[in-house]
Amino acid sequence: MPSASEPTTAPTAATAPAVTLARRPVGRIVPAVAVLVLAAAVLSFPSLAPNPYILSAGVVVLNYAVLSTSWNFVGGFTGYISLGHGALAGLGAYGTALLVTRAGLPSFVALAVAALLVAALAVPIGFAALRVRGASFVIVSIALVLILLLVFQSWASLTGGSRGLVVPRPFPGLLRPEHHRVFYFLFAGLLGLALLAWWLIDRSRFGLGLKAIREDEDKAEALGTPTFAYKLVVFVVSAGFTALAGGLYALWFGDLDPVFQFSILTGSYMVLMALLGGVRHLFGPVVGALVVGFALEYFKVEFGNTPLHLVATGLLLALVVLFMPDGVLPAIGGLLNRLSRPTQSSIREVTAAQLRDERAAASAAEGTRDRGDAAAATAGGRPQSTRERA
Amino acid sequence: MPSGALLFQSVILGLLLGGLYALLAAGLTLYFGIMRVVMIAHSAFLILAAYLAWWSHSRLGVDPLLSMVVTVPLFFGCGVLLQRLLLARLRPVTLTMMSVLLTFAIAVVIEGLLGYVFTGTQRRIQLGYGSASFGLFGARIAVVKLIAFGLAAVALAALYLLMKKTTFGWALRATIQHRDAARLVGIETDRVAGYGFGIGLATAAVGGTALALDTTIYPSLHWHWIGPLMAIIVVGGLGSVPGAAMAAMVLGLMQSLLQIPLGTTWAQTIFYLALFATLAFRPQGFFGGRLAQRF
Amino acid sequence: MTTRFRRMQWMTALGATMTLALAACSGDGGGSNTADDPIVIGISLPLTGDFSEPGKGVQRGYEAWAKITNDKGGLLGRKVELKILDDQSNADRVVADYEQLIGSDQVDLVVGPFSTRLVVPAARVAEEYGMLFVEPAGAAKEVFEQGFKNLFYAAPAVANDHYNHLADYLLALPPDQRPKTAAYAAMDDPFAQGTAYGLKEKLAAGGIRTVVDEVYPPNTTDFGSIAAKIAASRADLVVGGSQYQDGVNLIVALQQLQYQPKLAAFSTAPTNPEFAAAIGNKTEGILAPTGYTQKAPYPSNKEFVEKYTAQFGTPPEEDEANAYTTGQVVAAAVTAVGCAEQGACQQKLVDWVRSNTVETVVGPLSWDATGKPKGAHMIQQWVGGEIQIVLPADAKEADLIYPKPAW
Repeated sequence: MPSASEPTTAPTAATAPAVTLARRPVGRIVPAVAVLVLAAAVLSFPSLAPNPYILSAGVVVLNYAVLSTSWNFVGGFTGYISLGHGALAGLGAYGTALLVTRAGLPSFVALAVAALLVAALAVPIGFAALRVRGASFVIVSIALVLILLLVFQSWASLTGGSRGLVVPRPFPGLLRPEHHRVFYFLFAGLLGLALLAWWLIDRSRFGLGLKAIREDEDKAEALGTPTFAYKLVVFVVSAGFTALAGGLYALWFGDLDPVFQFSILTGSYMVLMALLGGVRHLFGPVVGALVVGFALEYFKVEFGNTPLHLVATGLLLALVVLFMPDGVLPAIGGLLNRLSRPTQSSIREVTAAQLRDERAAASAAEGTRDRGDAAAATAGGRPQSTRERA
Repeated sequence: MPSGALLFQSVILGLLLGGLYALLAAGLTLYFGIMRVVMIAHSAFLILAAYLAWWSHSRLGVDPLLSMVVTVPLFFGCGVLLQRLLLARLRPVTLTMMSVLLTFAIAVVIEGLLGYVFTGTQRRIQLGYGSASFGLFGARIAVVKLIAFGLAAVALAALYLLMKKTTFGWALRATIQHRDAARLVGIETDRVAGYGFGIGLATAAVGGTALALDTTIYPSLHWHWIGPLMAIIVVGGLGSVPGAAMAAMVLGLMQSLLQIPLGTTWAQTIFYLALFATLAFRPQGFFGGRLAQRF
Repeated sequence: MTTRFRRMQWMTALGATMTLALAACSGDGGGSNTADDPIVIGISLPLTGDFSEPGKGVQRGYEAWAKITNDKGGLLGRKVELKILDDQSNADRVVADYEQLIGSDQVDLVVGPFSTRLVVPAARVAEEYGMLFVEPAGAAKEVFEQGFKNLFYAAPAVANDHYNHLADYLLALPPDQRPKTAAYAAMDDPFAQGTAYGLKEKLAAGGIRTVVDEVYPPNTTDFGSIAAKIAASRADLVVGGSQYQDGVNLIVALQQLQYQPKLAAFSTAPTNPEFAAAIGNKTEGILAPTGYTQKAPYPSNKEFVEKYTAQFGTPPEEDEANAYTTGQVVAAAVTAVGCAEQGACQQKLVDWVRSNTVETVVGPLSWDATGKPKGAHMIQQWVGGEIQIVLPADAKEADLIYPKPAW
């Protein structure tokens, strides 16, 4: 029985040979330019937004992006799918709010302290959840949301319960449009920080070990990777960023209610966004957040006052899981490769052996393990992986 | 402080509730045993069955119990199709995680469709004997609750006999224990897995009908059920049907008794506390469950 | 591998830029105010999700108000147009909706959503954009403790005052007849809890002992254990801080246990037209507070009941009436001040509402500085298979029956 703890596999073999054929004159300049363009686009958005509503929608999408990027520390690196990250965001939100209202801390000090507290709390949670693999982990993550909902509802003397909790504004003098603008930049900064952290881990030995867990946890362990410690550390990092996003949201939004803070749907949106964009890509969750943010808005407009928006969201998730488990980015990449194949074929024909490989790999679902970067870690030595790295 | 009468009444209510939990958890355990799938949509199908029972009673005037004549075979078919057409398509290496998301998506779709067809209004079957009850050593037992418990008990017993006494049950148990070995001895594991899924979903049809007899239903109610059920199957030991049934009875009883000192909301946390305790101290579950260690 | 990855990043960046640019261009200005334009009133309502049932009632109330107003020529000679968005019973959405209505759609006026949980976040948006915010559903006292200056609740009384007449009645009974013990069960919801706890405070102060005090989450469906606790306490009086279905469930569970209190009072549920059938017609003697009755003698109410029934086929309930009342308050302000648009006009409207009394379908309404209405609710009781007003004495249609007959 193969390891059941792997959320996605890399692009199927059908696309792999084509990739090696792709031109690579772009060098190192393109990613740098891309990041600059992206940053410029994000930062210029507030001055382009025609009214405060569009600006506030931008804040919401950025919040989604931070959340799904934070989720992707666990989901993308280790392959453990957590449906309970909504609970961590809720804890960050309530932690920040309570530290401001009860302990009288300044807003942003409270935010930092709350994120550290949630990260600390993530240690025992992760300890219980990560000892078990696959199914039990998912169950624990869902249970986390449900139990925190019960606790925050019942413990009304501390949390306000169903009456809600009002978070004082960090900048009381600001008009609402200015408030949105300030928080837009704060969220953008947090997103940059999260992306930077993800990128750094992705390039480190630590990241390599995590990806080895994703590919085959038993093998990684046998090769000497301290799997449990690695998983725990990345879970704590993920929890910290999620809590920061939740806390910042609390400072922006101002009203907390347990029902909305501890909702399984929040966690599932994070998964949907990351999965849709592609969990193996730095910008995958960001793309997913954009798509899902617009999709949710579109569904709402399209289906008006019927709950069909739920159906549409569910179908979107099912389609991604069934047909695009690697996300939109690899799917588009594959499509572009296929479109550019005619020009390539004039340079080099695909050999019969390659075709056979492709077909075999495409038809047999089993065995299409990733042979991407993690192949180095697990030293799988499969023919395809050597070819792709070549 | 609680009187003996109240304690006794709570024990009875707890056992009646535990019976329903046991039946529903049995279905969830079955899926996990067969395919290592955590079927989030189980409770959504439960609510769907409850709605069909309510609908057949209020629109067609049929006794809700009779709706099972349709819903049980229908759900069986749905289960087979669900397994063969959707879950079997997922890559085996990522099956456990992806099946969670897929069944989650199914649950959301069902919730949305229920809301679309029946609106978000809370519904309750209005039976002539809805508030009837009889006395038992000073406690009162509501007739509808006893019928619901009876349904659950009969369905569980039938499931037990099916698993232990029939050839199909033998094949199903073999598939659960070791799929590759089962295939080697000539069992068509794919077909057996499909039928096993059908049976699991059929328990949701029975459970939904039982549920509809005495409680309110509304489209998002399934979230309220899936948490306790998942906790039960972990506490009972993932993959063990008798374990799940035992855990369901124990936890149902504890929930009912804890309501006396703690109130409704805090009492619900017992499921999750039991879940965390199980994973921290005995990940294989308290009532058997050989599979849990590996998954 | 690396090449493809780089290209991904590049495409991502490009895609994100384009989407952002599109988003930035898509917002339209709108909102000019010539005399022929309709007055657009923005509303966000829970049309799907947990609050959808009352949400739709509120929607019907608003629609009835718009139709009746337009049939009479509109406001300030301009037609009234409702722009209703669905907030999916979700606080994030309700805020986004009002942001959109005020910021992007440039509506002239906004009125409130349904449910206390959604009113507070929504009111904050309206407050910060300086909009008048009359609302039909934020009855819990917490709403008025937020320091809102533009908020007004368009109903006779806040939740905690719903049972005032009943409390006065019970405490005025001779000591030997007065109930000695009371059991309370309330949904964990600011409105429902407010009604039960308002009564509890007054009765406890008057010496009626609390023997059971239960709070249950809104998603509770099995009331067996709560009912068992109440039945075991043998309280003389049972009070349910309920919405609709939980009230029904609790009553049925109490009946299953054959508990017979001397008095049973439940909020909201007993006034529902389906209530009697839902509990098997064992309704005799059950009490409920109400802020609205179709039989109320106020002139605008006759018109409302008549035209509403013609439009929708059934007479209006409390949710519909509260929405209609909201419309009436806004209309009175707009007519008196003579303007309806964003900007300075809004503050004039706020000032007018604060210092005036408005004649509505629930009677004359006026507000204190926090936007709290200064009235009380009537008490109804099921008498002879029909729900009738029993308190206060000057409005009663039947005498209060105490102790109530067995159910």
